[in-house]
Amino acid sequence: MQIHSVYSLKNGVQVRKERFGLLFYNYAGPRLYFVPTQDLISNDFFEGKQQVKELVDHIEANHPWPRQWIEDRIGQVLQILEQKGLIYGQSVC
Amino acid sequence: MGNQYVDMGLSAPVNVTWEVTFKCNLSCIHCLSDSGKKRKGELDTDQCRKVIDELAAMKVFQFNIGGGEPFMRRDFLDLMDYAHEKGMVTCISTNGTLITEEVAKRLDKNLVYIQVSLDGATPQSNDAIRGKGSFSNVVKALEHLKKRNIEVSINTVLTRLSFPELDKMVELASAYGAKLRVSRFRPSGRGMDSWSDLNVNKNQMLDFSQWLSRHLKVSTGDSFFSVTTEERKSLGLNMCGACKLTCCISPKGEIYPCAFLQHDDFYAGKLPGNDFKTIWETSPVFESFRRLEIKSCESCHRFDLCHGGCPAIAYHTQRKLGVPDPGCLANCVKIKSPTIVAEGA
Repeated sequence: MQIHSVYSLKNGVQVRKERFGLLFYNYAGPRLYFVPTQDLISNDFFEGKQQVKELVDHIEANHPWPRQWIEDRIGQVLQILEQKGLIYGQSVC
Repeated sequence: MGNQYVDMGLSAPVNVTWEVTFKCNLSCIHCLSDSGKKRKGELDTDQCRKVIDELAAMKVFQFNIGGGEPFMRRDFLDLMDYAHEKGMVTCISTNGTLITEEVAKRLDKNLVYIQVSLDGATPQSNDAIRGKGSFSNVVKALEHLKKRNIEVSINTVLTRLSFPELDKMVELASAYGAKLRVSRFRPSGRGMDSWSDLNVNKNQMLDFSQWLSRHLKVSTGDSFFSVTTEERKSLGLNMCGACKLTCCISPKGEIYPCAFLQHDDFYAGKLPGNDFKTIWETSPVFESFRRLEIKSCESCHRFDLCHGGCPAIAYHTQRKLGVPDPGCLANCVKIKSPTIVAEGA
């Protein structure tokens, strides 16, 4: 993960916000993927407009956690979603 | 499947089964919706577009389209285009008889799955259920769809007639680049009249369960979790998804927990008119379904695999919910065991 990247959904993938976090649907299957992120990541984040840095800034401003810990957790989630073929990242720098 | 997340309550269904018309050009003896003629009160084009708008706004991911025969609606392909414009995936169940080369061309896009019904590997066995000439028409449809590389499943309802031909059905599907999907026969619609003649017996259900465990590429549309074996437990749901992950809209816009429970007892509201989000979140019918517990099954060693099975079959055969699925594998094993002993002796 690069801090100045933006992330978008792959073709055929949809996502929506749920009480537990994010629910991904993949046309190519397996169909459903549950991501228990609570309210840390909005589904709008995957529209490819908000940089990871902005997301981390936002979480840091609203929670008492160390910045490095937030970066690591967000990085893990994004890495798994990329490996599952649900999202792709693009560097904006 | 993240059961614990589903149990928290989803903001919308993952998919909605939408039977878009009762009109059908076939008269299959096991038809769950007793389809034939168009009926008074079926939704018109504008009303259908409003249904699509409402479900798309809630981020429902997929429509499972059925009927009747969906292609009997003149506006059907336009409606599908409209759903695709909203990003929704459509899985269309069809008898295949109206899929011409031109229709296949129009269906050739990313957001479509086609599920063609075939209830036997030969004209004799299939046409006995689906009507004379239907087998050859379906084969033509499969050829048109294969030419365009459209993702297709052949759907077979498990009956006493189709059960002995399942191996041949796998071969037939493979020849057309299709997957085989076997779905469960339910005593609903005309299926109620043919239930005693066509439903597999418990020995056959047990054999079918073992057959499924050897054919992991055959899908079941999650309709056989009552007989799921360990080999298949990661392949789909282990519980009924009605009112949790899915629900059904009738051709008249009436909303029910599932396609097999389109009965006054389970009526939850109507579209357009009622607000779908409100129905999904607060309908007493839906809430009672989500709370449904089949207590007598909880001590069963198979409970984690099926959670009591299909409430629709329990309802249609025993007129009540909250009782075990009569086709449950644990029951089948009890029946089968004496036969095994007798054969081995």
